[in-house]
Amino acid sequence: MKLFKKILIASRGEIAVRVIRASKELGIRTVAVYSDVEKDSLHVRLADESVCIGPANPTQSYLNIPAILSAAEITDSDAIHPGYGFLSENHHFAEACITSGLTFIGPTPENIRLGGDKAKARQIMKRKGVPVVPGSDGPVTTEEMAMKASKKIGFPVIIKASAGGGGHGMRIVKEEKDLEQALYVAQREALTAFGNSELYVEKYIPEARHIEVQIIADNKGNIIHLHERDCSIQRRHQKLIEESPSPISTSEKFRKKIGELGVKAARAIRYRNVGTVEFIVNHDSNIYFMEMNTRIQVEHPVTEEITGVDIIKEQIKLAAGLPLEYKQAQIKPSGHAIECRINAEDPERFIPSPGKITYLSLPGGPGIRVDTAIYTGYVVPSQYDSLIAKLIVHGKTREEAIAKMLRALDEFIIEGVKTTIPFHKKVLNNPDFIKGDYNTTFVEKINGSVRKEPALSVTTD
Amino acid sequence: MEIDDLKELIDLLKETDITELQLEKDGTKVRIKRERMLSPMEIQVQKFGGLQEKVISATEEETRLITITSPIVGTFYRAPSPEAAPFVEIGSRVKKGQVLCIVEAMKLMNEIESEIDGAIIKALVENGQPVEYGEPLFLIEPV
Repeated sequence: MKLFKKILIASRGEIAVRVIRASKELGIRTVAVYSDVEKDSLHVRLADESVCIGPANPTQSYLNIPAILSAAEITDSDAIHPGYGFLSENHHFAEACITSGLTFIGPTPENIRLGGDKAKARQIMKRKGVPVVPGSDGPVTTEEMAMKASKKIGFPVIIKASAGGGGHGMRIVKEEKDLEQALYVAQREALTAFGNSELYVEKYIPEARHIEVQIIADNKGNIIHLHERDCSIQRRHQKLIEESPSPISTSEKFRKKIGELGVKAARAIRYRNVGTVEFIVNHDSNIYFMEMNTRIQVEHPVTEEITGVDIIKEQIKLAAGLPLEYKQAQIKPSGHAIECRINAEDPERFIPSPGKITYLSLPGGPGIRVDTAIYTGYVVPSQYDSLIAKLIVHGKTREEAIAKMLRALDEFIIEGVKTTIPFHKKVLNNPDFIKGDYNTTFVEKINGSVRKEPALSVTTD
Repeated sequence: MEIDDLKELIDLLKETDITELQLEKDGTKVRIKRERMLSPMEIQVQKFGGLQEKVISATEEETRLITITSPIVGTFYRAPSPEAAPFVEIGSRVKKGQVLCIVEAMKLMNEIESEIDGAIIKALVENGQPVEYGEPLFLIEPV
């Protein structure tokens, strides 16, 4: 079966470069779209063709559906890859692509719509026997409903936005008396961030691990998993470091169980193409469905390194209608991989630091991979997210992977902007991290503890 | 060597980093040299064995002209339909708000209006050519 002749990448930065690379290797021509401040971007330089679609403001460019579809039309593209972020989880965009006669490289619009409705997704999973975090049956529309659900679940609870993500519209409520206020605040935040104030309530699981499962599926209903990633190193619900296997995946039993739950969840919504099922795991290793990510994710290279599967190429092949070439038994993960997301931010306060990269020197050697769109002289724009590079290492064991990551972080020189490289070194040197003993409160703890470290002491003999 | 050919060579020089271009064709030798980025360019036309030397100075006209750019991605059309006359001709006077052309995007015809009163000096794209956001379409001399 013929793949596509031309793919338009409706994204920017490192993921656009990633998709262009995979397309080139498959013999498919590429079209980059860019905003008027991104003319010198790497993705524009690497693509066969490029179209300027609007000004810097994402609403007028990378989120501008008519401009993107028009760019596909004038370049005679036959497929669109949405990358991550931007329109990748916008089911209207997926539908519009299809209506325009283009293949949307990703799941079906219905998969996306459902993935974006977190309250509904929970309900379906519950019905299909996938364990979910105890919570309200669907959205809570009144304070009475919220109170009733919370009492049933038991405090502490967490209020979440149905249309949400990234920490917006989320509030932890420790006691009954705090519920009313938290509901109002969460509602307002959700409305502002997503245009949708719908909320649901879940049991708050403190000190949990965020472990997700990579899924790939073809159009015939064949679904397999590519094992799990532990993404608990987060700050304000933004992932910073990911690894596979999870340090708690010490038993084959746990690995198999979580992988199979991922497949079960994907099957429950008849998922197609590539996606990730997010679970929350408590300290007793109980696994609960949290949400479904209906797109390729930033941290996909971690899974690529341990399985040898090129997930982006698979996305493209599956979108072209090819059957899944792998059977579950053929997926044999090997070794350990860790990814550090390097952001153009102050390493202590995480304030964005855009600007010109005056000097860049990438790490190298065995087991080192850098996915980036920066180069010496590149100006990191202020209008988009601060991720400038992903440093991924692969070792035979977790110890080796940590040693490689520390070595690679030492070699990685980025001058001209502040980066979070020092922060990553701090984490990788942390005794709890080295033991694998961490959860979603880890970053908060180690950032807090910086000030408690003793000053250098001077002894006199 | 026709004037149009020379104009094309000048455009080519302007679009690239080339500072000097020499071309021999059909007994005519042309040397185009750029002194500085924005300075006037000199064109020397020498006929073999001839005594004529014409120097044409093309000044940077663009500084006083206004460029109308495309606000959207699509296909550029000079006329409302294939059989109709173009919205504007080179040299014609236009008023602010007057329709200059159409950029078609996804079967929708978007009329592009002039931002100023002036005269059309040049069309910068061909009829039926795909255009991107910010693509220069017309040069207008303000009046």
